[in-house]
Amino acid sequence: MTAALLVATALMGLAGTAAGAIAPVRFRIALSSALTIAACALGFVVGAEVLHSGHAAVVHTTTLMPLASFSLALDRFGALFVVITAVVGICAMIFRFGYDGQGLASRTASSILPLFVTSLLLVPAASNVTTFLFLWELMAITSLLLVLTDHARRSEVQVAGQWYAVMTQLGAAALILGLVLLATRSGSQSFAVIAVRSAHLPAWVRSTAFVLAVVGFGSKAGAVPLHVWLPRAHPEAPGPVSALMSAAMVNLGVYGIVRVGMGLLSGGPAWWWLLVMGLGALSAMFGSLHSATSKDLKRLLAYSTTDNVGLMLLGVGASGLFADTGHRALALLALVAALLHVVFHAVFKGSLFLSASSVHQAAGSTDLDQLGGLLRRMPVSGPIFLVGGLAIAALPPFCGFVSEWLLLQSMLHGLPSGDVAIAVAMPIGVGVLALTGGLTAFTFTKAIGIGLLGLPRTQDAERAGEVGRPMWIGAGLLAVLCLVFGVAPFLVIPSVVDAAGAVPGLHLAGALTRGWNVALPGVPGMLAPGLVAIGLVGFGGLVALGRHLVQQRPVRLTEAWGCGRELQTVRMEYTATSFGEPLTRVFEDVLSPARDVDVSHLAESRYYTEAAVIHTTIDDAFERRVYRPADRMLVRWGAVARRVPNGSVHRYLAFGLVALIVVLVVLA
Amino acid sequence: MSIMRLRAIGRRLRARPADIGDPDRGTPVVVAAAKRLRGSLQLRHVDAGSCNGCEIEIASIFSPTYDAERFGIRLEASPRHCDGLLVTGPVTRNMAAPLRKTFDAVPQPRVVVAVGDCARDCGVFRGAYGVEGAVSDVVPVDLEIPGCPPDPAAIVRALRGLAGT
Repeated sequence: MTAALLVATALMGLAGTAAGAIAPVRFRIALSSALTIAACALGFVVGAEVLHSGHAAVVHTTTLMPLASFSLALDRFGALFVVITAVVGICAMIFRFGYDGQGLASRTASSILPLFVTSLLLVPAASNVTTFLFLWELMAITSLLLVLTDHARRSEVQVAGQWYAVMTQLGAAALILGLVLLATRSGSQSFAVIAVRSAHLPAWVRSTAFVLAVVGFGSKAGAVPLHVWLPRAHPEAPGPVSALMSAAMVNLGVYGIVRVGMGLLSGGPAWWWLLVMGLGALSAMFGSLHSATSKDLKRLLAYSTTDNVGLMLLGVGASGLFADTGHRALALLALVAALLHVVFHAVFKGSLFLSASSVHQAAGSTDLDQLGGLLRRMPVSGPIFLVGGLAIAALPPFCGFVSEWLLLQSMLHGLPSGDVAIAVAMPIGVGVLALTGGLTAFTFTKAIGIGLLGLPRTQDAERAGEVGRPMWIGAGLLAVLCLVFGVAPFLVIPSVVDAAGAVPGLHLAGALTRGWNVALPGVPGMLAPGLVAIGLVGFGGLVALGRHLVQQRPVRLTEAWGCGRELQTVRMEYTATSFGEPLTRVFEDVLSPARDVDVSHLAESRYYTEAAVIHTTIDDAFERRVYRPADRMLVRWGAVARRVPNGSVHRYLAFGLVALIVVLVVLA
Repeated sequence: MSIMRLRAIGRRLRARPADIGDPDRGTPVVVAAAKRLRGSLQLRHVDAGSCNGCEIEIASIFSPTYDAERFGIRLEASPRHCDGLLVTGPVTRNMAAPLRKTFDAVPQPRVVVAVGDCARDCGVFRGAYGVEGAVSDVVPVDLEIPGCPPDPAAIVRALRGLAGT
């Protein structure tokens, strides 16, 4: 039954593609979105059924692709990702009904978007190397095309597209190498066979395949130092696409690392997982630092995705490390924490990206320094962003709190194990978690304080109004989930435990939930999110009541204190740049901000200033130190190489001769 | 080291705070403020157009000689953190609005202290074209300290009355 539904999911997605391509303009968006929603709903049903029953949905055909079989087998682990994608997909497609920006209404985009969603839904089901690579590439190419939808009008889109294309293809190349190496060495391209035979492969094959997989999946997940496409592509992609990319696509990077490292290779030496943890820690710190100093809302969210992927990788790495040192229960706990963070990140980041796109549509910009006062002007979308921000800052009673608490617990409980690698890695992991938690709170204080509160800084922001109903429903559904999962995590945790249990060799000593509470089996530790929520509401009510009773005279509203200055304009408000300035200064070595002051003088006297303009830019250190030099070197090599084929027929004949001799010598 | 230098050091070692005298208490406003403030008075100083004579005396009340801080009297930068204003000078036309804004920015209940004759009745500047009026013409004044300029000891006595110290 599930297999048929899986096929139906794919067909429904393809029908959406066809509808987007041939439907008349009037029905194009409605029809393709509705069919995509249907595909997501089917995918949700398949995923939920597989998660519930534990029976894999298997589809196998040899007629679809030449020389290779197309085979899907959705197990519990993959099903979790299908469910996440389906939920985010449904919300993003509902959002799309009201979204008219950034060229997403075009025929190309309307037909590509369903295909992208379908490939996202099917990737976790792929069960052999060819199928996986086919779907993976389909996902990469469709997402690239969607990033490029607005390329004709804005040149930044083209640059972002180039970065994304290069990074995603580099990752794909690494993946192809790694997976093909595994497939040829184990004599079969079926994941199930590889998983059985990989234990007997030589260590270097296993390690090479794993490192290549980490590079390939890491680039898709946006892990530092392979993240450079992320902060460029996300701001330029149309709203629903950026939400899907950040909330569904990057998850698949984490999926891939777990699938290859723990599934196909059934775990490995400690250094693999220390590598993953290292990448995770670096991503978390680098991402949170950059998101704290970004002033563009979507760029900020993109860097925060890197930050959260870092936390997921931290959990995955910890899990692998525990498994390697024989702490099975802790290994599963860490993996559950990582997967739970995947789920919750999808929920809150999806809602944040969708409501950021609402802001873009309403106020015409995502530059925080051009916004302000939107909470009052957008009475639904504003609070949705607020909820997402609270959830991502891991504040109770929202969902981010639960997953980060679990991640922290799993790392803390590893400390008494006595293993050197664990004793070194876990405190660092805990420190990184603490630091990024603080920075994320800072980031979203800035995003909400500068962007949503205060006075509007531009006329566009002043005129902004609430967006259409489909848009806030799409974003709002996810925001509601943030609260529901934060108060009642027992709704998802058992499914996540089941999904993590599908990874071979991991099992839990008992249930992770006890009634409404989260209780760690085997180790002391308990969280009662429901009680925390009740306590918070009660405390808030008491404070409000207390204020009401204590307050003697009515609240008096006066102008903000500006040193008694008569002329106060909105331009004098606190900006995102100034809010991040202290942090920029503290981390000057990492962020290396460039500051440029432009002073123009009056024509009559140079002692009087006419205008002073300050430009500040923050560069990505990896882009500056690694990618641009590499790019320059490639260009230089290209220029040299262009001189070799100079158009002379004689030289080309000589090339042929030399090549022939070389081949003969090598073969002889 | 010369004898003169040694004598100077000796003089400094023997120096004691000046005799300030008893705080001015008595008026209902002062009694009410003292009861409320209980030994801590934070003030924002506004120069509404003073010749800076009063500023010199105000600066000196925080010198070691008068040391008003030992009575819990402090000058603050932000009116948001203050109990009141310390206003000097006749209120010039350009300073009337800033004075009103500063007054608005002080949380209630608040006191306004007009320091010097100009603040009380414009002094020698009365009727000058750039002068809007005395401080009491712009914001309600609770306490006046006469003098041109007032003696630092007089200022400290008056503020001690407010602070209740």
